[in-house]
Amino acid sequence: MAVSFTNAINAYNSAARSVAEGRPEPAVESGQGSAFASLVKDSLREARDLGLKSEEVQMKAINGQADMRDVVMAVANAEMALDTVVTIRDRVVSAYQEILKMPI
Amino acid sequence: MDDLSKSSAIASAGMKAQSKRIRVTSENLANANSLSNMPGGEPYRRKLVTFRNLVDQELDAVKPVVRRMTEDMSPFGRKYDPGHPAADENGYIMTPNVNPLVELMDLREAERSYEANMNVIQVSKQLTSKTVDLLR
Repeated sequence: MAVSFTNAINAYNSAARSVAEGRPEPAVESGQGSAFASLVKDSLREARDLGLKSEEVQMKAINGQADMRDVVMAVANAEMALDTVVTIRDRVVSAYQEILKMPI
Repeated sequence: MDDLSKSSAIASAGMKAQSKRIRVTSENLANANSLSNMPGGEPYRRKLVTFRNLVDQELDAVKPVVRRMTEDMSPFGRKYDPGHPAADENGYIMTPNVNPLVELMDLREAERSYEANMNVIQVSKQLTSKTVDLLR
């Protein structure tokens, strides 16, 4: 399934909720890093896949094999996915920095 | 896929269908004077394009596709031109059943539909990015 911004926001919401409830996040998941790291990695990978797909369609369009509308849609999808991932990453990183700044 | 990207995909299918229509219209307009070069031969016959709705399983939505290109079977025009190679024994030639005014109106209608679909894409894109901006 393609990364969609509502999914990403839901993931962010559930992450925020578990932090708010003081529930400890599973810090290490089968030795692959935290849940947040895998969330970012997965969504980034999907965004990259969409970007590759849009490049593929662009190459086809240059060769005259693809529809201009398909190019526009592919590029818009890739752009939106990357935008979503970057926004969520920024948001979570800034939350982390807030926690770091907290006086002990 | 969320509904906003779905609506963009449907609108882009609509744009594809309308561009096909513009293509057929341009063919009709450009061939409005294409005649046969032998007696009894038929001139250019006007083409028509029809759409139908298709359920896209992957998208879980109904989108328009071009059904097929049909030919307009209305009668050809007649013109007196005895010097023309396609003229019959009475000196008449058959002219294409294309009315440039009708074609231009068709073109305008297709243009408006295309623009409407473009607006759908614009609005759904705008709403999506505004929703993402809520996080900032």
